Amino acid sequence: METLEWLRTPELRAVIMPGLVGGLAVVVTCAVLSVLVVLKRLAFVGQGVSHSAFGGIGIAAALGYLGQAAAESSEGGADLSWLVSSAIVLGFCVLSAVGMGLLSDRHGVREDTAIGVFLVASMALGGLLLSYSVRKGKLSGSSGYESILFGQILAVSWPEAYAAIAASVVVLLIVWALRRAMFFWAFDEVSSSAFGVPGRAMKLTMMVLLCIAIVTAMKIVGVVLATALLVLPGATALKVSDRLRPVVAVSTVVGIGGLVIGVVTAIEFGELPPGAAIVLALCVLFALAWVVSAALRRFATN
Amino acid sequence: MSTSAAQLTLPRNGAQHRGGAIEIQSVSYCYPGADASALDGVTLRVDPGERLGILGPNGGGKSTLLKLMLGLLPMQGGKISILGMTPGQARRQGVVGYVPQRLEAELGFPLSARQVVELGATWRLPAWKRVSRECRDRVERMIGLVGAAGYADRPIGKLSGGQVQRVLIARALAANPRVLALDEPTVGIDAVGQQKFAELLGTVHREIGLTIVIVSHDLRAIVAGCDRVACLARKLHSHVSPQGLTPQILAELFSHDLAGLRGVIGDVHVHAHASGACSDCGPEDGPARESAELMKGTDGNA
Repeated sequence: METLEWLRTPELRAVIMPGLVGGLAVVVTCAVLSVLVVLKRLAFVGQGVSHSAFGGIGIAAALGYLGQAAAESSEGGADLSWLVSSAIVLGFCVLSAVGMGLLSDRHGVREDTAIGVFLVASMALGGLLLSYSVRKGKLSGSSGYESILFGQILAVSWPEAYAAIAASVVVLLIVWALRRAMFFWAFDEVSSSAFGVPGRAMKLTMMVLLCIAIVTAMKIVGVVLATALLVLPGATALKVSDRLRPVVAVSTVVGIGGLVIGVVTAIEFGELPPGAAIVLALCVLFALAWVVSAALRRFATN
Repeated sequence: MSTSAAQLTLPRNGAQHRGGAIEIQSVSYCYPGADASALDGVTLRVDPGERLGILGPNGGGKSTLLKLMLGLLPMQGGKISILGMTPGQARRQGVVGYVPQRLEAELGFPLSARQVVELGATWRLPAWKRVSRECRDRVERMIGLVGAAGYADRPIGKLSGGQVQRVLIARALAANPRVLALDEPTVGIDAVGQQKFAELLGTVHREIGLTIVIVSHDLRAIVAGCDRVACLARKLHSHVSPQGLTPQILAELFSHDLAGLRGVIGDVHVHAHASGACSDCGPEDGPARESAELMKGTDGNA
């Protein structure tokens, strides 16, 4: 097996391990959040926020924190441009999420319309700024685009993996700390407000957590497919169980399973992009859960 | 149910308040962009332990008044005091237990009925604190009080409308409120369920001695379980005991929403329709009536 060869050979292992370790941290975080995303019907919000990241990437590229410009500027010293570019993308995603919320809450625009507006505006801004960066020689050709859109787990460095672990720990700690209020808010938003749960603060917190998860997931599966990690594990788990703890556990297992199956598939079949393979693996797991749960329901009915 | 009121309630802020449980003074409210105000100079007082029904036609401002009492809408004119607190303070302190119309909750949530009740009692607990024995006991007592013990472990999404309603009442009571507010509690529930609901509210009132406010356009829901009735159609038309609801009051109250109104208030039978033929009216009843028809001393099928 090609995968075992990768794991045995030190040089190849050095390539694959940071991505796998960072990826595991990311998928566990996304899997936990995905239960809330699916139940609270935030999939399109996640889509909007993840695509907003493209605008942030454009800004980071134009400012010289991405690609060749960043590499040249850090020659001879530690390259922290990835950290700065991640902070720029995170900031842009948070601003977009807040903008979507303000537009829909206070200005009478429907939420899906507000998300649609920010999604396309961010994509267009990102496209323009990336094109500008390529022309100015700050970014090389279309290869940069591909890894931004679909991720490149095998290009993750150890510092990036540690940052992903740190971000995941922060997100999971916040979810744990707020779990009671957050689940009450997610279950019954109007009533929970009447009970005193600060609904707006919950929504804002959820948006920021989604932004952090998406920025950390970007390197693994890219901007376009980041939403998959925030939807498919939870959707699959909810097909399997109707109890909260099993749902969170199954969602986590599905996330990890999708990552491992996707990476192994990508390695075994040669030049396949791992991000796309991970997302397709998650889709297959969802389809399997759907078929099995439908069959079990039918069996129980008969 | 032998549990005493002392066992079921705990002292809390607002418990020593000596005035009315709810005092509403000259409250007006107009939604942004609306031509007419939803509420106009409403003044009302609810004594501690009293059961008040707020009756009125659709669009009469009942839900608006309830939202103002719950602190879910900002005050525009007038003053509302809940046990001496502003609605916002009362909401933050969990003084008011709220029972929504049942479909507002996300019933696909992977929570059991017991976990839903626990949400009301435990959401304020810090994350690192375990749910106390006392809190668990209160949850169990409330589940028992509303008669939901038989299905407490079933997923909330698999319960009938009446069962969900009982669970939501238990959730409100588990938060240990001083005031219980119910919004259209009999919507979508059949006649038998409505009768059971009235008995349940009677039990809750007897055992816990809460101040109860029921908002409904359903005459039977109001009359069956309330000490006093406030008739609201933008303005407060009357504030009387159920037996004090005269045909004139109801005709005036429902003059814009007569169709389908039917019920028995004490010995007064209410039978109203806006226009057109009615199978319950004999041919001698003549042409379509334009106002409520109320007949004293006749049965429901007259």
